[in-house]
Amino acid sequence: MLVPSWTVALLWSTVCARVCNAFRATNRLEEMIKVRSPQDLGAAIVFLVIGAAGLYFGQDLAFGSAARMGPGYFPTLLSGLIIAVGLVLAVKSLAVDGPPIEAIHFRPLFAILLAILGFGVLIDRIGLALTTALLTIGAAYARREVNLKETLLLAVGSALFAVGVFVYALSQPLPAWWGR
Amino acid sequence: MDFGFLQNLATGFGAALSWTNLGFCLIGCLLGTLIGVLPGIGPIPTIAMLLPISFGLDPLSSLIMLAGIYYGAQYGGSTTSILVNIPGEASSIVTCIDGHQMAKQGRAGVALGVAALGSFFAGCVGTVFIAAFGPPLARIAQEFNSPDYFSLMVLGLVTAVVLAHGSVIKAVGMVLVGLLFGLVGTDVNSGLTRYTFGVSELWDGIDFLPLVIGLFGIVEIIRNLERPELPRSQVYTGLRELWPSLQDFRDSWRAVLRGTSLGSILGILPGGGAVLAAFASYTVEKKIARDPSRFGKGAIEGVAGPESANNAAAQTSFIPLLTLGLPSNAIMALMMGAMIIQGIQPGSAVMTKRPDLFWGMVASMWIGNLMLVIINMPLIGIWVRLLSVPYRLLYPAILLFCVIGIYATNTNFVQIVMTAVFALFGYILIRFECEPAPLVLGFILGPLMEENLRRSLVISRGDPMVFLERPISATLLVLAAFVIGLIVLPQIRKSREEAFQE
Repeated sequence: MLVPSWTVALLWSTVCARVCNAFRATNRLEEMIKVRSPQDLGAAIVFLVIGAAGLYFGQDLAFGSAARMGPGYFPTLLSGLIIAVGLVLAVKSLAVDGPPIEAIHFRPLFAILLAILGFGVLIDRIGLALTTALLTIGAAYARREVNLKETLLLAVGSALFAVGVFVYALSQPLPAWWGR
Repeated sequence: MDFGFLQNLATGFGAALSWTNLGFCLIGCLLGTLIGVLPGIGPIPTIAMLLPISFGLDPLSSLIMLAGIYYGAQYGGSTTSILVNIPGEASSIVTCIDGHQMAKQGRAGVALGVAALGSFFAGCVGTVFIAAFGPPLARIAQEFNSPDYFSLMVLGLVTAVVLAHGSVIKAVGMVLVGLLFGLVGTDVNSGLTRYTFGVSELWDGIDFLPLVIGLFGIVEIIRNLERPELPRSQVYTGLRELWPSLQDFRDSWRAVLRGTSLGSILGILPGGGAVLAAFASYTVEKKIARDPSRFGKGAIEGVAGPESANNAAAQTSFIPLLTLGLPSNAIMALMMGAMIIQGIQPGSAVMTKRPDLFWGMVASMWIGNLMLVIINMPLIGIWVRLLSVPYRLLYPAILLFCVIGIYATNTNFVQIVMTAVFALFGYILIRFECEPAPLVLGFILGPLMEENLRRSLVISRGDPMVFLERPISATLLVLAAFVIGLIVLPQIRKSREEAFQE
């Protein structure tokens, strides 16, 4: 595989967000087949995608036989069952009424995820102290109202704390500053 | 009854009572309470977040610390339930009902005191339970063959699914996805890599730490940010009476005894654990009370019973893990993950090969419980004050702790990316009302299940009847079928929903 799995996951999540918006729209317009339980449909899609991916990426693995299970035997079995669960949920979502999907707040979600990824990118390059400060500031923007002064104080405080505790007291394998 | 276990316990105390181990136990309890007391953070995210700090230690110290974190997290959760009415997880929901009412009446201190003392008593009984029943169960476990193990795992997963919060079919799906995730990496039999997508970091399988911290820790932070900030007036800090009076003891000791026995038994069952025990105990207390209408209005039995039950169950749910090597719920799956990272494969072999480890851990459970009472009763004031620290100052620190924990354990960018991916995945799951806890259970059991299925079918030359021909395996499968029958029958399904709504 040329594409790393995490990019697939990222792409897939955007698709997912689109899809649930679309479902909300169809729900409002009461077009086509009526989705009675959007949460169940969402879960069904998750399971169907995982099951299908399990089958697709596992197709090169030898299946073997019951007496001599190949590396593909159990994964194929599981993927099949996951797809079955997905189908049951898909049917259920059309048949049984369920609560709507709670609104997705993109701000906290992406601020936190970016803060984590930023930490991973920067820690080796600029060291723990600055990375910690940046992570704290980045995370603060997960909330709508940001008190800049307070955030900066918190950033400096946690940077000092992190370096003091993790680098000096616990001597963890983390660079305090750039260039190790 | 064989009293040799007292001798063994003495060995255990010998191993656990070193100053360093006591220190780690204390740190574990304190940190567990510290994180567990934060509103909305239950034992699973707490343990997930704190896992990395135990990795640098030797196996016994690390397990002692983790057990301390677990009890601390649970106790912290009860404190929050009583004071702020925000349960961190399912087992504290019950405590909220009457505990918070007591707090409103200014009896928060009494509720906390009874919870602590009841838990301590239950912890003592649970420890003796493990010491007495662990070795015989381990002997039974030695009779187990591959088909029996496979069937036992099936039973455990089935019960876990039935007892899971929310939709049964979604829980089934989560277990299956967990099992599949558990297979990622190199297949031990063929040496081929499965589902690694060319990422060499996945050759050893998906790492446990990014998985649990992403799914539980980070998702919890994001979810809390979506909720409106807690108004301060909701925190009841009126601790007029800190200690339970003699009358309170008189009212609650029977509930503590009943809760303890119920919890000790329910904890051992596959799929059982603290949540089930707390619910069962509350139901029992309400049923046998002379005046059931007091419940929900601050009945002390409604706190004493469930709190004792969940602690007893928390204790005895270690039994299947330590004797059979099978976790019965998500928290035990976390413990098992930690043990495997330490190079210990949990199971009956631990008891025979590393008795100091097994008995040391049992002894440390009792010590952990004692520490909780000693440190938490006087420190209540500090925990209360912590509750009034605004969340906006806390979450960046919690996040920092999670990321540094992952990065320090394995200085690799891929680990950080995986954490973010699992956080996103967990967030999507939560939006679709899929609880991620069964996934972890499946994840841990995935490779074990495949291996035992393979071996069973090799023995029988591919005939699946082998699972019904062996008596132990057949019994376990019949039990599993019985459990499935329970949820299929509509009436029982209804009462299950009622029980969870309460």
